[in-house]
Amino acid sequence: MKLYEKHRLEIILERMAADRAGRVLEGAGVSGYTVLPALAGYGGSTKWRRDADISATRDMVVIVAIADRAEIDAALDQLQDLLADHIGVLNVSTVQVMRPDLF
Amino acid sequence: MSMALDTLTSPIILFFALGLLAALARSEMTVPEAFAKGLAIYLMMAIGLKGGVEMAANPLTGEVIRAFGAGIVLSFVLPLVAFMALRLTSKIDRVDAAASAAHYGSISIVTFVAATEVVQAVGLMPGGHLVAVAAVMETPAIITALLLASQAGARKNVAGSQQGELFREVMLNASVVVLVGALIVGWIIGPEGFEPTKPFFVASFQGVLCLFLLDMGLSAGRGLRQGWRQLDAGAVTFGLYMPLISAGFASALCWVLALQPGDAALLITLAASASYIAVPAAMRLALPRAKPAIYLTLSLGVTFPFNLTFGIPLYLAMGQWVGA
Repeated sequence: MKLYEKHRLEIILERMAADRAGRVLEGAGVSGYTVLPALAGYGGSTKWRRDADISATRDMVVIVAIADRAEIDAALDQLQDLLADHIGVLNVSTVQVMRPDLF
Repeated sequence: MSMALDTLTSPIILFFALGLLAALARSEMTVPEAFAKGLAIYLMMAIGLKGGVEMAANPLTGEVIRAFGAGIVLSFVLPLVAFMALRLTSKIDRVDAAASAAHYGSISIVTFVAATEVVQAVGLMPGGHLVAVAAVMETPAIITALLLASQAGARKNVAGSQQGELFREVMLNASVVVLVGALIVGWIIGPEGFEPTKPFFVASFQGVLCLFLLDMGLSAGRGLRQGWRQLDAGAVTFGLYMPLISAGFASALCWVLALQPGDAALLITLAASASYIAVPAAMRLALPRAKPAIYLTLSLGVTFPFNLTFGIPLYLAMGQWVGA
């Protein structure tokens, strides 16, 4: 089966900033993304889990987007600005996709 | 003393303590997230409806208007006091102090509900309008905190921000929509229209509150375990003395405005309580540089348990003392 190379952007981000990240991705021309709930984790010497506060403001989500490198690059500057203030980490990796026209 | 003991041994406090201790002991017990949200909506609807029905049955008096005015003034002013106290007595920086201060000008609706139960148990009948006073006290504190943070240069538009998102979060968050919406529904339907829904919203209220406070105890305990490293001794002490300062300010206002003892006790409780739902969400949008581990641990892990156990009997006594 023939596979095609694309780039996968993954942001683990506080839930309250997910809409902001989504707007950045849409503005950069990324054709789609998925937001997943994160259950628990460890970072900055602190363990966290999503049921720790009733306001759910400390909940984290994972945003996954697959796109061409140009679109990912267009989003990265603004995402860097977002992550300077909001809690989160970002990584980009190369992936193989089956239907490139979807991205 | 007996009133304090009655409060401490009431089912709602004991279930809260159970949740708190279970979380501190690292129990894996949880109340399912969607169920807990359903409980919160039920409680907001119940208190909103009851408040609206009482407002429909009673005319709008000068005392009602004075209570609204006092609530708004307290919510604007208390964050200034909290901010100065935090800066003077802890190592918390200006942005975190401003974000934390907002929580102490806003209110905790669960503390209010628990206090209402205690106030009614001693035979005082607070007015239904206090629910509306609670709703209007949610927001002014956020404005004061943002002004404090602006002075520190901490306010800027983060990438992806949208005009009106903070307003939507503050004014249209689930608790405000359900509470104010139910209040209006209660006001429209009046006592007769409320009658068919009474078995659901009145008879079951105490039991649901017990369940909710079990979850609140778990939240408070886990919040404490996660966030205590962020707090120095000065900050923890602030979480204990700030409610008393707020209660002092509110008591003076209640005395000047000659509020009834039941209304005074609840207004004092509202002033002494600290938000842990509406304000944290607003602060994540408006002041993302402020650390949630500080302000949530303070309001939910320190002040909320203090108010629920020792604060409410004290605020009731203060209300009876200053009330007309």
